[in-house]
Amino acid sequence: MRPLDLTEKDPSRKVTIYFEGRPLEVYEGEKLAVALLANGIYWLTTSTEGRKKGAFTFGPVPMVVNGVKNIDARKTAVRNGMRVERQRYGEFQEAVEVDEGKPVERLVVDVAIIGSGPAGIGATLEVQENLTVALIEEKSWLGGDMWLKGLPQEGFEGKEPKQVIEELTSKFNDNVRVFLKTTALGVFDEGEYFLVPAVHGERLIEVMTKRVVLATGAVDNILLFENNDMPGVFRRDFALEVMNVWGVAPGRKVAVVGSRPEDVTAELERWGIEYVVVPNPKRVEGEEKVERLIDMNGNVYEIDAVIISDGRRPDINSITQAGGKLRFKRGYYMPVLDEMHRIREGIYVAGSAVSIKPHYANYIEGRLVGAYILREFGYEAQPCVYEERLRNYEPEVMSVHGIPFDVFHLKDVQICGCDVSLEKVDDVVRWGITDLQVIKRLTHLAMGFCQGRYCLFNGAVVVAQRAGIDMSKIDLPAARPPLKNVKMKVMATRG
Amino acid sequence: MPTRELPEKSEIVIIGGGIVGVTLAHELARRGEEVTVVEKRFIGSGSTFRCGTGIRQQFNDEANVRVMKRSVELWKKYSEEYGFPFEQTGYLFLLYDEDEIEAFKENIKLQNRLGVPTRLITPEEAKDVVPLLDISEVIAASWNPTDGKADPFHSTTAFALNAEKFGARLVEYTEVKNFIIENGEIKGLKTNRGIIKTSIVVNATNAWAKLINAMAGVPIKIPIEPYKHQAVITQPIRPGTIKPMIISFKYGHAYLTQTSHGGIIGGVGYEEGPTYDLTPSYAFLREVSYYFTKIIPALRELLILRTWAGYYAKTPDNNPVIGRLEEISDYYIAAGFSGHGFMMAPAVAEMVANLITKGKTGLPVEWYDPYRFERGELRSTALQMG
Repeated sequence: MRPLDLTEKDPSRKVTIYFEGRPLEVYEGEKLAVALLANGIYWLTTSTEGRKKGAFTFGPVPMVVNGVKNIDARKTAVRNGMRVERQRYGEFQEAVEVDEGKPVERLVVDVAIIGSGPAGIGATLEVQENLTVALIEEKSWLGGDMWLKGLPQEGFEGKEPKQVIEELTSKFNDNVRVFLKTTALGVFDEGEYFLVPAVHGERLIEVMTKRVVLATGAVDNILLFENNDMPGVFRRDFALEVMNVWGVAPGRKVAVVGSRPEDVTAELERWGIEYVVVPNPKRVEGEEKVERLIDMNGNVYEIDAVIISDGRRPDINSITQAGGKLRFKRGYYMPVLDEMHRIREGIYVAGSAVSIKPHYANYIEGRLVGAYILREFGYEAQPCVYEERLRNYEPEVMSVHGIPFDVFHLKDVQICGCDVSLEKVDDVVRWGITDLQVIKRLTHLAMGFCQGRYCLFNGAVVVAQRAGIDMSKIDLPAARPPLKNVKMKVMATRG
Repeated sequence: MPTRELPEKSEIVIIGGGIVGVTLAHELARRGEEVTVVEKRFIGSGSTFRCGTGIRQQFNDEANVRVMKRSVELWKKYSEEYGFPFEQTGYLFLLYDEDEIEAFKENIKLQNRLGVPTRLITPEEAKDVVPLLDISEVIAASWNPTDGKADPFHSTTAFALNAEKFGARLVEYTEVKNFIIENGEIKGLKTNRGIIKTSIVVNATNAWAKLINAMAGVPIKIPIEPYKHQAVITQPIRPGTIKPMIISFKYGHAYLTQTSHGGIIGGVGYEEGPTYDLTPSYAFLREVSYYFTKIIPALRELLILRTWAGYYAKTPDNNPVIGRLEEISDYYIAAGFSGHGFMMAPAVAEMVANLITKGKTGLPVEWYDPYRFERGELRSTALQMG
């Protein structure tokens, strides 16, 4: 077993790759970033300003693979003999192959469901008897965040989460077409129908659909502390993914920070990984990766990874790109919905994209919007049954942390994964600029690869705290297409 | 720039705090005039910040070439004085057939006569300028190394801060609701934050110009309509990879260059309108990717981060409307820049400031005569990109 393997892997898949010339044992099908982690390699790339970066918090992870620059280490699977090297942000491949591109695939469905977590699965199951469905999932698995969990979840008691997902999705019928590893680029109103373009590998798929369900989920909060972008810092979802999907430990001794440590500590215990909960982190340090964490009281913890578990907030990008409005409630921005869970006619929202609640409640909410859609198409449906069950789940309240500006060395605290420090944003706000549109342009906050998913909320917190503006009064810039990054060659396809 | 109080009165009020309004305020204040800019949102919030950064002198008529030659002098002067980046990295028009070459030879002759050093260069020379260029179909290029690009945000902010230093007042989040006019004379403006007394007003609202003209009761036909144009930005790459603005009429009227942050920015001729809608469209995403990767194949492997839309405030001949209206004293207009207003702004500011303070200007402002539409005297169409 490799240094950070938690499970024995299938020996028949064992192959060798070379990282900076050094041979490493990996398993075919593993993601490059995970295969390197299993071998104890955290530092994969370097930002424009020279900051060392890993793959498990915010910011892109471009690497050189077989001599080709700018390859995404999060999305690339290892192959025998692969040669992998570090690069800096901004390095790109000058000599490229030019081909005609793969033909565009078009399909027409009644309902396009973006996101296959419990909400997307619920909506699919509700409508599949009568309507055709395209279920679009960016990851290589169905089940969304629930697939990352190892422990039974409220409402689905007595069963492992993966088993629940497998049972539910095994019921999908022929009306359902599932697109895995497929990224939806947005929702476009074409009058007679909605167009949901999506990308699978290098192929462009254009889904023409009468109704859209945004089951696009929530994103993890990024906790602000010094060097929160360095290799060895894990977002909760990435930490759970490496453990529960890939059988690899984030580290042998980890610190858990953020207001929701319980979301990962039980999983760490399940794997027997030593951990310490540090409620008030100030700084992490290390040469190539995290080696120690220092808290606000000056306590020093010798650890080899840090997991940020600070709760999740709805991913608002898909909402605003599709034309939805937002409101601030319970500590987060959420879509403004009509009585049928729509942001506008034809576009429904379900799951943690609406509010933060247990997976089971998100599943019920998926069934609910499915029932509304069925009714719209003239079929029998009982949305009120789901509405009633959903009422048992009061959405969670997220606390908005005060940022201890006086304590932090602000230059070291990263607010955005693309070299935007808390200092840069704070400086601008202190000049009196409180419009996030201007702050964006001045600091490049929310203008990078994640399109603000992991930084805009904290930007709003800075404005609220420094300028004394209520979070509900802050106008968040709308997301622009494409919803997720896409290579230009995919869009360049003709026909 | 925190929002200032609306002053009770001001000699001159400029409506619109985009690059045109702000450079004009700067020019007037520098000359000691009392001037206030009223902007309904924040400084630069309209088309200025959505613009593609380019500054060129390669036009196809005498007036525009002369105005842009002066404008580039001013860009150079003020970027040095105020420390915002204006880089003279050139404009490169890629040409693909003999007809294009003939037309550009004429343009170059005119530009050279007026002191703009444009040259017709070979495809190989073009590739020396931009090594990533695909020149397999290019047969020549029109190249002027003194054209350039500036960051719209940094330059607008620099002009705004210095305008304030000279005493101009820039009032944000203040929307003009109506004019107070007595006997054909302006007495003041009604805004959402109260009345400002004034006798001289400049309409520098570009895409919104027709609304302000209607409030003022402008009795002549000034056709300025908002059109949706879109732009794209890729992931940042090594700075200096694509220095000039590259133009290809053959490939979708594309323009593209690299920003100071490293991303490749640009657009194509894809136009919708007239409309005030700014929703980016899928069709643009497809078009821009197809054309850009034809011009520079290496862009194929770059990630698109974002697209967005802005207005071209277009007139029938793609030339702006700049001048004084006779029927309402003293009402001036500087609007309808048809996609090339950012680059013109410093020279337009000088022209309008001269009109206001001296009643005349050395630059050929009559080309942009507001009455030309009424008279049916459209100009030759100004060269438009994107």
